Amino acid sequence: MASLQPRPPPNYIPNPNQTPNLAADSFQNLQISGPGSAPPPPTATSGPISRAVQPPPGPVPRGPFASNGPPMAPPSGPPGVTPSMIRAPSAQSVPAPFPGSPPSNAPYTVPPPGRGQPVGAPYMTNPNLNPVSQPLQVGPPASAAQPNPMMGLSASQPNSMNQNPLGSMGPRPFPGQPSSQPYPGPPALASQPVRGPPQSFPGQTFVGQPPMGQPPMGQPPMGQPQMGQPQMGLHSMGPPSMAPPSMGAPPMGSVAPPFGGSAWQGQQRQGGMLAPVRMAPAGMGQQPMVSTPGAVMGYSPHAGAQVSTPSKIDPNQIPRPVPSSNSSLVYFETRQGSVVSPPPPATSDFIVRDAGNCSPRLMRCTMNQIPCNGEILTQSCMPLALMVQPFALPHPSEEPIQLVDFGEMGPVRCIRCKAYINPFMRFIDQGRRFVCNLCGFGNDTPRDYICNLGPDMRRRDADERPELCRGTVEFVATKEFMVREPMPAVYFFLVDVSMNAVGTGATAAACSAISQAISDIPEGPRTMVGIATFDSTIHFYSLKRSQQQPVMLIVPDAEDVYTPLQTDLIVPLGECREALEQLLESIPSMYQTNKIADSAFGAAIKAGFLALKPTGGKLLVFQSVLPSVGIGSLSSREAEGRINISNADKEPHKLLQPADKTLKTMAVEFAEYQVCVDVFLITQTYVDIASISVVPSTTGGQIYYYYPFSAVSDPAKLYNDLRWNLSRPQGFEAVMRVRCSQGIQVQEYSGNFCKRVPTDIDLPAIDSDKTIMVTFKHDDKFQEGAECGFQCAILYTTVHGQRRIRVMNLSLPCTTVLGNLFRSADLDSQFSCFLKQAANGIPTTPLTQVREQIVNHCINILGSYRKFCATISSSGQLILPEALKLLPLYTLALIKSVGLRNDGRLDDRSYWASHVASISASLAVPLVYPRLISIHDLPSKEEGDSVLPAPVALSSEYLSDEGVFLLENGEDALIYVGGMVNPEILQKLFGSPSLEGLPSQLVLQQFGNDLSTKLNEVVNEIRRQRCSYLRLRLCKKGEPSGMLFHSYMVEDKAPGSLSYVEFLVHVHRQIQIQTKSN
Amino acid sequence: MATDPSALGAPDPDGLDAIRLTWNALPRSKLEASKCVIPLAACISPLRSNPNVVSLPYPPLRCKQPCLAVLNPFSQVDFNAKIWICPICYSRNHFPPHYQSISEDRIPGELYSACTTVEYSPYESNPAAMPAPPPPVFLFVIDTCVIEEELEFVKSAMRQAIGLIPDNALVGLITFGTQVHLHELGFADLTKIFVFRGTKEITKEQILDQLGLSGRNMGPMGPRGPHPQVNGFNHPSGAVNRFLLPASECEYTLNTLLDDLQTDQWPVEAGNRSIRCTGVALSVAAGLLGACMPGTGARIIALLGGPCTEGPGMIVSKDLSEPVRSHKDLAKDAAPHFQKAVKFYDALAKQLVSQGHVLDLFASALDQVGIAEMKVVVERTGGLVVLSESFGHAVFKDSFKRIFDVGENALGLSFNGALEVNCSKDLKIQGVIGPCTSLEKKGVLCAESVVGQGNTTAWKLCGLDRSTSLTVFFDVSPSERSSQPAHANPHAYVQFVTSYQNPEGQMKIRVTTICRNWVESSVTEELVQGFDQETAAVVLARYISLKMEMEEEFDATRWIDRSLIRLCSRFGDYRKDDPASFNLHSNFSLFPQFMFNLRRSQFVQVFNNSPDETAFFRMILNRETVTNSVAMIQPSLIAYSFSAPPTPVLLDVAAIAADRILLLDAYFSVVIFHGLTVAQWRNMGYHNQPEHQAFAQLLQAPQEEAQIIINGRFPVPRLVVCDQHGSQARFLLAKLNPSATYTTAHEVAPGSDIIFTDDVSFQVFSEHLQRLAVQS
Repeated sequence: MASLQPRPPPNYIPNPNQTPNLAADSFQNLQISGPGSAPPPPTATSGPISRAVQPPPGPVPRGPFASNGPPMAPPSGPPGVTPSMIRAPSAQSVPAPFPGSPPSNAPYTVPPPGRGQPVGAPYMTNPNLNPVSQPLQVGPPASAAQPNPMMGLSASQPNSMNQNPLGSMGPRPFPGQPSSQPYPGPPALASQPVRGPPQSFPGQTFVGQPPMGQPPMGQPPMGQPQMGQPQMGLHSMGPPSMAPPSMGAPPMGSVAPPFGGSAWQGQQRQGGMLAPVRMAPAGMGQQPMVSTPGAVMGYSPHAGAQVSTPSKIDPNQIPRPVPSSNSSLVYFETRQGSVVSPPPPATSDFIVRDAGNCSPRLMRCTMNQIPCNGEILTQSCMPLALMVQPFALPHPSEEPIQLVDFGEMGPVRCIRCKAYINPFMRFIDQGRRFVCNLCGFGNDTPRDYICNLGPDMRRRDADERPELCRGTVEFVATKEFMVREPMPAVYFFLVDVSMNAVGTGATAAACSAISQAISDIPEGPRTMVGIATFDSTIHFYSLKRSQQQPVMLIVPDAEDVYTPLQTDLIVPLGECREALEQLLESIPSMYQTNKIADSAFGAAIKAGFLALKPTGGKLLVFQSVLPSVGIGSLSSREAEGRINISNADKEPHKLLQPADKTLKTMAVEFAEYQVCVDVFLITQTYVDIASISVVPSTTGGQIYYYYPFSAVSDPAKLYNDLRWNLSRPQGFEAVMRVRCSQGIQVQEYSGNFCKRVPTDIDLPAIDSDKTIMVTFKHDDKFQEGAECGFQCAILYTTVHGQRRIRVMNLSLPCTTVLGNLFRSADLDSQFSCFLKQAANGIPTTPLTQVREQIVNHCINILGSYRKFCATISSSGQLILPEALKLLPLYTLALIKSVGLRNDGRLDDRSYWASHVASISASLAVPLVYPRLISIHDLPSKEEGDSVLPAPVALSSEYLSDEGVFLLENGEDALIYVGGMVNPEILQKLFGSPSLEGLPSQLVLQQFGNDLSTKLNEVVNEIRRQRCSYLRLRLCKKGEPSGMLFHSYMVEDKAPGSLSYVEFLVHVHRQIQIQTKSN
Repeated sequence: MATDPSALGAPDPDGLDAIRLTWNALPRSKLEASKCVIPLAACISPLRSNPNVVSLPYPPLRCKQPCLAVLNPFSQVDFNAKIWICPICYSRNHFPPHYQSISEDRIPGELYSACTTVEYSPYESNPAAMPAPPPPVFLFVIDTCVIEEELEFVKSAMRQAIGLIPDNALVGLITFGTQVHLHELGFADLTKIFVFRGTKEITKEQILDQLGLSGRNMGPMGPRGPHPQVNGFNHPSGAVNRFLLPASECEYTLNTLLDDLQTDQWPVEAGNRSIRCTGVALSVAAGLLGACMPGTGARIIALLGGPCTEGPGMIVSKDLSEPVRSHKDLAKDAAPHFQKAVKFYDALAKQLVSQGHVLDLFASALDQVGIAEMKVVVERTGGLVVLSESFGHAVFKDSFKRIFDVGENALGLSFNGALEVNCSKDLKIQGVIGPCTSLEKKGVLCAESVVGQGNTTAWKLCGLDRSTSLTVFFDVSPSERSSQPAHANPHAYVQFVTSYQNPEGQMKIRVTTICRNWVESSVTEELVQGFDQETAAVVLARYISLKMEMEEEFDATRWIDRSLIRLCSRFGDYRKDDPASFNLHSNFSLFPQFMFNLRRSQFVQVFNNSPDETAFFRMILNRETVTNSVAMIQPSLIAYSFSAPPTPVLLDVAAIAADRILLLDAYFSVVIFHGLTVAQWRNMGYHNQPEHQAFAQLLQAPQEEAQIIINGRFPVPRLVVCDQHGSQARFLLAKLNPSATYTTAHEVAPGSDIIFTDDVSFQVFSEHLQRLAVQS
């Protein structure tokens, strides 16, 4: 069967690292590892084994904490810490919250009000403590802290105080860990050795810790758990606005334990199924409304005050994305018999074995158990949605998707609902009939397909037939699925050559990128290319061989375009490669003196469309300026908005809506003829992405945004993006439909597609990067214990011109227990869902409202949990469901994100919104909550086999002035250089002892030293993971670029927005109000 | 009544002035004029070259406003007072200072009595003031909806033309089929083509915008943004070197282009014609010239291979089941596209005229291409028109080459002409038939009734050449006062002033003043003496053609018959009701025969031809000299035989003899017709035998004569060489008077021929005429 997998390796296994590498080779010489050696993107890190080894390092760092800890050791603290610490070990085993396992409840408890005070401590400088903390910490990081005892350290001192609490927790976890590892799962393990142990075990041993740790583990792809924490301890210890340490510490210690205990117990009583995180909101005391009993804090009730928010939450204990240790490569079996395991976090590295349910990469549900009825769902306030990424890159170690050919008969389908045959169809009557798992209809088995049933009532041939044992299969499409011959792979390039495009180097960059990228396109006889350039007119090129020289055909009417030729505009690549390359080489010089400033984007894409109309295909547009002329021309609304402030103020979000319907109408027509548009915006000005993005988003394409374009640094990214665009796994002229069991129905699809009939979505092109969100609503009830099936079928044409149907199945148990929903909630999917909903809201709703809605959504979910699943615990505690414990953090990050910030440029916001619309679950979180790592100390870190050091929390406390940091969100990477970095380090990293003269848009280079080598490795690794060539930007402290960097420090307090701690307080307060009011 | 063929070798009937009037003596009263039947009209050939025309290196001296007549030999000059009296308006004008030295011994050229026609070169005396002569501009518009073979003919013709074009001439190239391709010749990197869609009418402004020639680079969206855009292409001169290049610079590019040029690549569906957007192509050409070269002479040379089937100017749909309109369709108003197309081309004509540019048509197709619709443009702009069957045909090839000829045979293509006519006030100007456009200069001299381009005393001739001829129609409308004998001035004066830019780019003004006598109504003899029957026949043919086009239901044959009868009644010599007594003065003697042939000619019997052919014939008729036009109406026939030197013979079937070779010059075609015996001899190769040198010479003589005719004519006539009873013989037989038809076949002498027709012969025709003319 494997042989059926039609993808030729080069084409199909996208090799993003190769891509960057190539770019690097040609542009920058930056890569250390040869392209060949680099593993493909999906496998972020290759050796699963090596990772497994990692756990050991974990404990080490903890050690120190532990030592510190004992004195302070607030009981609640430990849980918070422990999870992280434990994760490493447990990470290997996927946290599978089993219904029965009480430990999974492990609450993340934040110290009760009293504790909040200790948090405040950071402000108090405790010089004495510093030394302590530093030694405690892992060697390398300390270096940063030491030099500046005065400044950063001052902050850290209080931390030390905090650390102590941490430490105190540490010890517990620590013991826990060792035990947990050796003991893998006495209780729960029995059945599932790997997963169970952590949960059950820790739970018993220590309050709450273990289970908590596990669930979170999965989420963040980031650094290793242990590392993260030590670092935090080091650099950032005290949140600036916290209360004096002395105050805090004692209360914490005293108060916390009871809390922790109670929480734990409470949960146990509940049945132990939940995994809540409890936090005692620091602010409780301050809040007039809430009377917190245990609140020791008598401090300043001026909660709002910036300087000293007497938050009682220990910032080091609040939930953070504890990196799933790189070391743990998880093996995930999608089903085990009737048991459905929740998938590992989307951002983690795992290998899937398809055992009936499809890989979570392909389809991922916001909850791994389906509510039996709508009421429960409503009560939970959680969304029920699928993230469908039909062409998601598999892990190379995974079994390829198998191709099934039913011959002329075509795939077996339910005659009523047309569902495709799948492992969940139940055969009865000796196999002569089968019952559809979606609509329940009993079908006659086609004669040729009949097979006897075995004793287990499965067909005897079930295991030999992929369609009966695999969650994902591909069927060969029969004639019935074709309205015409499958289309060839057609790529049409459109390059802006208007004055500014040429002037900024955008044209040259685009031409060079195309030229290089086409040399990588496989030269099948069915691969066709064409090219046109445009300014205020559109210039086609006839690439036919017979002519003495290429012919440029100009369509001058930008109001009413047409194609200048019937044939010859699109030519088989093999016939025109040379001509095309020559042409691309000469285009920049040809337009060197172009004085036409206008750019007819709309007309150009229309013209390109007309050229593609007979076949369909991909239109790749390289646009540099605001489309100012011709069909669909746009006005500089941004500037108008600025001038006419009153208008803009009233409804600024209107500027984020498309200017008019012209482009939308065109896009719908494009989609009808299977033309997909990708737009590369290589610009230094406002281009009205809000309007432009309609075209790619309707045609299954996407926007690439290079702003502000730099002719020095951006061509490499452009080339890599284009190359990936052309070479990634993809399909054409696709139609997708999701079917589901009776009881629920599809409510809405969202993503980049065109929808003409209610049930299907049309995708002129679909590729490995695109995700479609499908939301569901109940129209009936399920029986407890039943399973709800989802089937996504996508009919498409491969790049080689074969028509296929990819069918993905997911069958999830139904439940009436609200707690189960929370326990099986999938944070990544849910967050993706919020993210997409927020993006949808941006153009139609004022920003403040969007943010409010998001926060309310978060509060409602947590409130529901608090209300229905954690009723017993004190109202003074913020108790978070384990699975969603990071929801507040991500929510906070989301409302501070580029798209929802008040100060964002219109285009940035529009781009963000359009980018988010098709983003996958695995990239959604990093986009909003980026990964931050220190890079000044790279070589000295011991990370096992992982290239990447552990990430640092996004709080400026963790930034040292001597440090150099890299922050990446899957799109951009910012390198932040502190104010007092050792020139030697700068020399090593940037080849210059000072930053003077270095461009802010950085080109990474190899300087032949360890640090530089390592940095290159790190960057390449990230590129690999993200399937994206990051834009590097140098941010210097004290300059605007530094400010930009700081805007990503989402945990910080910023003007007009809350710090993380404050936000938790806010959330807690709101929940309390809700609870009270009921 | 016997009609002698007009004698060959007669002195130039046009004379120095190249002006021929229908009546050289003018009836005094309106009533008399109407009794004369034949309208008073002058056929003028303003640029006809004549070595006797005096050239004056200074600007003409004009009478005061509003007359503005130019000083001429008919002016009365008072040398002492230095005053001249304008013969037309009788104004007294003082000579300007530079004329102060004139005296009876020293008179300027324009006052010599022989110099009724003079040519001024206003800048010659002051070359410094002369603007640099603009280079000629040739914008080729080539149809690519043709078969490979035809395109190859076009290419070879073009290559030849490129070699002939003067180096400084600006050349542009447009090719078209389904779409219009404007080639940017000044773009070095690769072949750069602007493509316009064929379906949509496109205004000049749009064209300029889209070519970036409009100066406002902002596009049609209007001004936007505060910053004005810098645009290097604002200046028209920039455009010149993008699309129109000196031949010397673009020769290589053009040749490369021609090598790569393919037939239209858009597919032609089965059962359909090619999609051809001639209208848009011409619009684009006109727009481009308007932007680059307004006011300077330029020619659009269009090579058409078929009908326009799409967009403006479309004459037939692409569906082959719809035939191209015929005369019958036009008569029945069943040509759905005709009026629309004519309207479009009319607008195009206006644009070209305002720019001073010319459209030349070279239509080479078996089917029609729409000349009938495009006639208006060609005629208004003074363009050339050539109709042939194929681009490989000599008619096209040789004619096309002629455009670029220099020297003896040059057409003398001139530009930007303007004709003003001034005349004594008892004459009124009705209008002009010919290749020109009214400049709408109205005045007291305009007659109320209009013929052709009327209501004006000035006309624009965008393109004119040595043979260009115009017919000016006059109306006699004496004022009360002037009709009284006491005040009567015995002379009528007409002055024609033609300014133009000669092929070398120099401005010239040619002034011709003529003087004719008024004839008192009673004196028929003088009128008869002044009658020019050739001119009358030609004027009548033109007049009828115009009426046939303008008036529905116009019965040309009947009108001719009635006019002829009236004329014969008025000027014939007869006894009432006695046909036998009928006689005509020699000045009228040929006229009935002309009319007989006119009735049978392509100008009147249009149903034998396609509308395109008719339009073509009429355009040529209207722009040719009287002599040539007569040949169109009544071809000349020369007989070659051993027995006699080449002799003009009657245009009658009786002229055919087995041992004769006949040479027919029907203007559009030249037919060499070998009698049966001659053909047999030739087939047996006698002419190759030394002892039969005489026969070889006999065979050769008509060939040489035909070649002489062909060489001196544009468009090149079609040469038909045929034998008696051969299929091609129809070209001769159709023109002959059917004195012997199948009904009279038994009387036919051996060796002669008969014509299978029911048409009446001239003999029958004249009998009827005589009978009717003498009726009381």
